[in-house]
Amino acid sequence: MRAAWQPLALLALVLAVSGCKPEREGSDPDAVQHVYRHAMDGGPSSLDPAKASNIYANFLAINLYDTLYRYKYLARPYRLEPNLADGLPQVSADGLIYTIRIKPGVHFIDDAAFPDGKGRAVRASDFVYSLKRHFDPATRAQGAWLWQGRIVGLDAWKENGADYDEVVSGLRAVDDRTLQIQLISPFPQLTHTLAQGYSAIVPREAVEKYGPEFAVNPVGSGPYRLLSFNSSGAVLERNTRFRQEPFSLEAEGYDPESQAGLGLESLAGRVPPFADRIEVEFVAEDAARWNAFIAGEVDFVKVPVSQFDQVLASRDPPALRPGLAERFRLSASQESGFVHTDFNMDDPRIGYHPDPDQQARNHALRCAIIKAFDWQKRNDVFYYGIGQVFPGIIPPVTPEFEVDQDRSPVSRDLDGARDLLSSHGWHGGNLPVLEYGFTSSVTERQMFEQFRSFMADIGYAADKIKPLTYATYGDYARAYLNREVMLVTTGWTMDYPDAENTMQLFFGPNASPGANTANFNNAEFNRLYRESATMQPSPMRTTMYRNMNRMVIDDCVTISGISRTLILLWKRDRAMLPDRAFVGGFYFRFADPGPAASEDD
Amino acid sequence: MGYPLRKAVSGLLLILGVTFISFLLMVWFGPEQTYTLVGKNATASQIAEVRRELGYDQPFLQRYADYVADLFTLQLGNSNASGEQVSRILARTVPVTLALMLPGFLLGNGLGIALGLAAAHRRGQWSDRLISALSVTGMSISFLVIIIALQVLLSTPYGLNLFPVRGWQVTDFSSYLHYVTVPTLALVLITLGYNTRFYRAVFVEESARDHIKTARAFGASPVVILWKHVLKNSLVPIITRIMFSIPLVVISGSLLMESYFGIPGVGKVAFDAITSGDQPVLKAVVGLTAVAFVLIQIATDMLYRLVDPRVA
Amino acid sequence: MAGERSIWAQLRADPAGLAGLAVVGLFGVVAVAAWLGWVGQDWSAAGGGRWEPAGPDHWFGTNILGQDIFQRSIYSVRTAFEIGLVVAVLSTLLGALLGALSGWYSHGWVDASILWLKGVLDSIPFYLFVAAVAFALQGNAWAMHVAMIATFWTTTGRLVRAEVMKLKTRDFVLAARTIGLPDRVILRRHLLPNTVHILLVQASIAFVAAIKTEVILSFLGLGVQDGVSWGLMLAESTQEVLAGHFNNFLAASLMLFALLMAFNLLADALQDAFDPKQAAQ
Repeated sequence: MRAAWQPLALLALVLAVSGCKPEREGSDPDAVQHVYRHAMDGGPSSLDPAKASNIYANFLAINLYDTLYRYKYLARPYRLEPNLADGLPQVSADGLIYTIRIKPGVHFIDDAAFPDGKGRAVRASDFVYSLKRHFDPATRAQGAWLWQGRIVGLDAWKENGADYDEVVSGLRAVDDRTLQIQLISPFPQLTHTLAQGYSAIVPREAVEKYGPEFAVNPVGSGPYRLLSFNSSGAVLERNTRFRQEPFSLEAEGYDPESQAGLGLESLAGRVPPFADRIEVEFVAEDAARWNAFIAGEVDFVKVPVSQFDQVLASRDPPALRPGLAERFRLSASQESGFVHTDFNMDDPRIGYHPDPDQQARNHALRCAIIKAFDWQKRNDVFYYGIGQVFPGIIPPVTPEFEVDQDRSPVSRDLDGARDLLSSHGWHGGNLPVLEYGFTSSVTERQMFEQFRSFMADIGYAADKIKPLTYATYGDYARAYLNREVMLVTTGWTMDYPDAENTMQLFFGPNASPGANTANFNNAEFNRLYRESATMQPSPMRTTMYRNMNRMVIDDCVTISGISRTLILLWKRDRAMLPDRAFVGGFYFRFADPGPAASEDD
Repeated sequence: MGYPLRKAVSGLLLILGVTFISFLLMVWFGPEQTYTLVGKNATASQIAEVRRELGYDQPFLQRYADYVADLFTLQLGNSNASGEQVSRILARTVPVTLALMLPGFLLGNGLGIALGLAAAHRRGQWSDRLISALSVTGMSISFLVIIIALQVLLSTPYGLNLFPVRGWQVTDFSSYLHYVTVPTLALVLITLGYNTRFYRAVFVEESARDHIKTARAFGASPVVILWKHVLKNSLVPIITRIMFSIPLVVISGSLLMESYFGIPGVGKVAFDAITSGDQPVLKAVVGLTAVAFVLIQIATDMLYRLVDPRVA
Repeated sequence: MAGERSIWAQLRADPAGLAGLAVVGLFGVVAVAAWLGWVGQDWSAAGGGRWEPAGPDHWFGTNILGQDIFQRSIYSVRTAFEIGLVVAVLSTLLGALLGALSGWYSHGWVDASILWLKGVLDSIPFYLFVAAVAFALQGNAWAMHVAMIATFWTTTGRLVRAEVMKLKTRDFVLAARTIGLPDRVILRRHLLPNTVHILLVQASIAFVAAIKTEVILSFLGLGVQDGVSWGLMLAESTQEVLAGHFNNFLAASLMLFALLMAFNLLADALQDAFDPKQAAQ
């Protein structure tokens, strides 16, 4: 029997060694490598830009591919900056025709998809192709909603069979370097959409050659190229053919007052991308990610809330404990998005009701529930008290946010809640059972239990608040998009820094399966939305948005909302200002990898 | 030649049964992947489109027939979620799972055999009682508790902080050891209790047999008795146990280990496929598991014949 | 039965087994008390502060929401027993039934189909099967139980089948058949009662397995949906331990360990009591 172990052990050894990840060609293992190691709190939905639906996918898509526009590295609030485009778009007087020129001499990376394996120059027609993909059912793209019903001829192109050789009149490459987009009606946020991963530019040859595997075989013109990718991480390598654009502090919106101590000045004039390699790890588990950071295995982390106590010496303003302050820098960045709990207005138990009296009673019930919700406690327990609670649906990160807004809608008012209930004939016995939907993760369940304890104070017995659990977010989405869930707690990540993005969440025609999960339908709100949709940002538009916000608050449609304050930490010797916003990720090319990495850190 | 034929037929029936039940559960009743693949502001027609693309609107028998056909021609397709070829996903993840689970599996059984032998040899004495007590204790601790405790003790600043909390950046043997140690320890601790008990019982029964008493009467040394007689003659139940625990430990167990330690192996891939409804991956994993199980049964049979010519 | 007294005597002579029985009994009383609403009812009230240490108000301290860990641990006993009992009883009964049928009609088509079903269920990796059942039943609270029962019966079934096949050849069975008793009467009145020793032991093993499985399932999000269980407490604790709060983890794992250990000792003692030959070893 002893002899039998040896071949078995050998087998195990062979299998073990074979389990190692092979490195793709392209890196010279002997050269000194400046490596930036990044940890993300989740994995990308896909590396195909057409399917870059979550923030992690967006981060990778915009670094492997080029988008026409990006956001300035350092300017806060975020401001647009030409990326592949050669300047901001020329817009016609009626706001319907956008003419964009792209920079010359930009090439795709070398890949077998091209003749002779050499990457060809990027042309305007590549952008046309990339956008068309979203309207081809075979792509199963997810970004079509941004341009649906907006570009002349694009929807018809799809009806006609999505033939890529057919020209779309509203989306044309005038020549190799000039692009023209014709809109059906003014769309002020168009340029913002051209900074999203969805609009990244892909070469037709590669898509046709690799088919579905194109998602794991990116061929782009971005600052980095992909070396390896699996469910636990991706390795990016500098694209040596990326256009040379020296880093200018001023052009990137540098603010000497708030950003002086970061060491960014030393990078002025250097040509990005600064890091030779970027190693991205997808670590959803908070504990693991934090430990990897503290052990020095990664250079950047979004600190999990459970660690805030150990990490922060003070909350307002957030500052690091001395031991950590020697090793790391901190950035308290506002999340570009918010979390809220919607009432399903389509459910007659809590929302719209054909009988006007019952409708009024439902309205009172909803308002009472909102008054009973303790935002302070929610903030303290789950967001360490540094989340930003605000009334309504215009989050603090948008320019339209009203700083000195009346905060009574988010202040707990038990007396008011009880009054509302009793004056409308509600009492413990006839309160409807509330069905609260969530995905069965620990935090979501705790939030549900906390909600239940809030409601107990206005007479809601614990067994009248039922959990509706779903094993995955996809399942949960299916349920609420089919209007099956009474109370829907969701977060909305903003696609661009403009409040139009959150206003559309309550626009009647966007009801489920659209983004209007509350199925809110207010004629006046809808009218104002239609009117403001074609307006450029202006004080008048801001006033309209604030009125619309008021309507959402008064109709008690949603328990809203909180924007998380993210605590980002990175190693002190890296000169950079990282972000974790949907409009972010462009900073990778500016990430300073610090001193050269040794073999084993 | 009737026996191999019968075995093949029953194996085939088994595979069909497994594929049918898994298809029923995981594909027909399973989650629709539509809602993860559809954009933010989807229209009803877009949703219908995606459903059609993914094949949800076809009738049951049609989908099942396609499934079986694909499986037997090994046309595994591409993952709906990542687009990667399923065969490539498997080629990438199966070696990782094996590399992760084999050391713990082999150690757990090896140590179990050794401890079982020691306990059976000193049956009734304090060392036997100790080993038995420890076995029962091991059987009474939840897997989850062991993993959390190990993590805290070995991978965090509250403990020794020697090993990574998760991950699998394996490039050479030393990094392999670095990442596989804690999962291997966890696996050994979980299975050791059960294994030791089982093997002890087997060896005790074998030791009570007449030929062992005869050997002892003849004055053979204890070590020789243990090795040559007890162990060798217990090979049938040992092999049964090892072979039949392969699906349980290696396949089911790998799911949990990989989820918790963040290791990109086939268990996690399979679990993600089930929860998201990624049919191509599901079909491949479940179908191949069934085939593997049947093959294991056949292999076990053949091993029996090799080891014990009395088994006809 | 003639052997009964000696079984009880065997049990009483086994200190470990007695201790196991006592502890299980104690937990059982707690479970019933919780079910009747006498204890552990404040498990969801967020009364205390965040992560309070153990003290007079909260004997085991509180978790992140301010919920009392002690109350939650007590209520979890009820959850554990509910799952354990339902799964143990039903899976054992199902296994007994199918095993008996399989053994009685052995080598016939009934036997072949039951064996085939067993093989199929054993071939599907367990957690994948449970996840699939949970989805198929769309988050129904009984999904977990159904999945466990559907897989746990196979071991009992196999043992009962072997036993019935052995008993079939015994005189009293042959006599019953000669008299002309119908099959199901023979099964019910003569064969199944003789398998009770197997069933008891298997039921206790199934109880342990069910609780252990629930812990993992709750951790994966597929287990208990409303209420609290040790699995949910452990899942909660994975985040907390890294911030240095161990109360949740310790409370859940110690109570879980106590119950499992007790049951394992009891199962061992039962097995020894029913099979004195083995007990002598």
